[in-house]
Amino acid sequence: MSYFLELLVNGALTGLMYSMVALGIVLIYKSSGVLNFSQGALVMMGGYAVWQLTEWGLPIWLAAAAALVVMFLFGLVIERVLLRTMVGQPIIMIVMLTLGLDVFLRGFGPGLLGTEPKQLDIGVGLAPLIMGDILANRTYAVGALIALALVVLALLFFRTRLGTKLRAVSDDHVSSWSVGISVERAVAISWGLAGLCAVAGGTLWGAAQGVDWSLTALLFPAVAVVILGGIDSIVGALLGGLIIGILGSVIPGYVDSMVGGSTRDVVTSLVILLTILIRPYGMFGREDIERI
Amino acid sequence: MKHTDLALRRRTVLGAAAAAGLGAALPVWAQGKDPIQFATLLDFTRVYTFLTDEYSQGQQDYIKLVNLEGGVDGHPIKLIIKDHASYPERGIAQYNEAKAAGAVFFDFLSSPVANALMPRADEDHLPMIAFAHGRADAADGQAFPYVFPSAAIYRSQAALLLKYIDEQEGGLKGKKIAFVHIDSAFGKEPIELLERVAKTKGFELKLYPYPVPGTEQAATWSEVRKNRPDKIIIWGAGPGQAVSIRGAVTNGISPKDIHSVLWLSESDMSAFKGNEVVGVKRVTLVNTGSDNPILKRIVEKVINPGNGSGDKKRVGWSGYNIGVASMAIAVEAATLALKNGGGPLTGEKLKAGFEMIKGYTADGLMPPLTITAQDHQGGGQGLISEWDGKRWAPKSDWGSAYQDVVWDLIKEDQAKAKEKK
Repeated sequence: MSYFLELLVNGALTGLMYSMVALGIVLIYKSSGVLNFSQGALVMMGGYAVWQLTEWGLPIWLAAAAALVVMFLFGLVIERVLLRTMVGQPIIMIVMLTLGLDVFLRGFGPGLLGTEPKQLDIGVGLAPLIMGDILANRTYAVGALIALALVVLALLFFRTRLGTKLRAVSDDHVSSWSVGISVERAVAISWGLAGLCAVAGGTLWGAAQGVDWSLTALLFPAVAVVILGGIDSIVGALLGGLIIGILGSVIPGYVDSMVGGSTRDVVTSLVILLTILIRPYGMFGREDIERI
Repeated sequence: MKHTDLALRRRTVLGAAAAAGLGAALPVWAQGKDPIQFATLLDFTRVYTFLTDEYSQGQQDYIKLVNLEGGVDGHPIKLIIKDHASYPERGIAQYNEAKAAGAVFFDFLSSPVANALMPRADEDHLPMIAFAHGRADAADGQAFPYVFPSAAIYRSQAALLLKYIDEQEGGLKGKKIAFVHIDSAFGKEPIELLERVAKTKGFELKLYPYPVPGTEQAATWSEVRKNRPDKIIIWGAGPGQAVSIRGAVTNGISPKDIHSVLWLSESDMSAFKGNEVVGVKRVTLVNTGSDNPILKRIVEKVINPGNGSGDKKRVGWSGYNIGVASMAIAVEAATLALKNGGGPLTGEKLKAGFEMIKGYTADGLMPPLTITAQDHQGGGQGLISEWDGKRWAPKSDWGSAYQDVVWDLIKEDQAKAKEKK
């Protein structure tokens, strides 16, 4: 029983770390209606930004705070240089653009700063969190708490006046323009916010595994989380992350040794497939019904 | 980071600029004879990113030293450096370009690319080195005459770890050994050897695969802890290695019980503070540190005058020294080839040169390497090092282990390959 609980707890913590990455995807979709396939690469860039600032002598948490500013501005630049030219274009073109951005950043970041894994020390040692017979990863526990805090902040943000404007933009660009909302500014802010999430994800995942190109691979579980939770739902990102994390821990924990292979990615893929087949808009996503 | 370091990195990744720089740096007296062209077509940007910058830096610095010291029999060496990102099709195109440019020696540092080009190297009579990558059966010089692993292949490395555990524990009988590996061809390669030795030595082997790229292993380590193994062997590369160590220690496993394949670098270990991972063991095929005549000359003649190819702090690191060793072996082969066959250097002569290498240690940088027409692995020697908090300290002498089992498996691989044809 303690083995099952340990898999459950560690899976939940890992899942919340996925939620942190998924939140960047949800924020952009919720604010501008764009599915952002470059969030994995943005997380990598966030990790690189923090690492570079520590290399220049800043303490880790000050580096993370400075990286928040850097990555928010980076998000604004992405909007200004790439997205602004796409306003009013078919959504598939914009999605393809984010894919292209992912490929570009995957080469640009390591090419500029060196490809070997960079280490981030957030001051959390290797000693596990001990809860009876259960051992939990301390870095993941810190990451999970920060993910929860980000989710709460995101929920509060969308209740503000600015958050309401962003939701209006995601609903309909043209209608938003007609009532005087600056669509360009709204989209820019959403990319800036995704940059902030990327710093959180890059710092915590970077501390757990090092900062290098492999951080971009977080896009896969993050996409699974938003498909399951609902692409426009912050609560969905939270619960989707928990479910993906727990399934990806408990099932391999029992099945891997029987089948002689790692089944975690198979589990994640199955969740994506089944969700799309059974409930395409996810657990908490909005189901749009159009009159035809 | 200094601006110059950034510039150097960019130059390394772009490769061609560095190669042009090498040509420009040739001493005037060494330009009388035609340059010998070596092609290092590597993966700078995709799979081997944990290693390649460091490795290529070592190669470039060593070649600069060779050229400064008169080249090979007066011939300067020109490196062709390109990035194939582990894409076989790109590697093949670059191989063709380099071959057309006159390259007589190749290094791909990528199993997919090396495996794709091994038949071509044999067909074109152009030697390639496959130091710690590529197919295991390339060790057999009769099957692959122009492919030279020139170092202990992965099965030989696993054998070295078993031998070390055996010696330390006073026998393997009754022990529980966990093999925690990345779920890829590289991660699975030692399994057959481990299983064979488990049968003869009477230890219990349990396998724990984790998914590629290896950056999330929490469930794996919970399962390992549940089964309470006596010793752990971790088998991955890049960020997954540090994740493995973190997973093991977080689950209460002593670092002293963790043993790793070659790919565990100073950079991986710098993630940990103080003494928390002191005691982790690793296979070492090339000594680390700068306390070696070749490294000292590189520092004196290449690094100190400001002609180094990358970040100074890497000089003496594992990947850097492996890069130096790979080029030292190739230069030794070229030297022997020209000495015995005269110029110009051709692929056939260079192959003969490789097979004349006898007891070569690169001034103590690596174990005595003897390559024969049959054995292109060169004996499968290595040693076990332990992380002492700052560096990899040798814990055993150079040696090899279970080479009879290694070669049985090589022959079986070849028999299977023949059946498929």
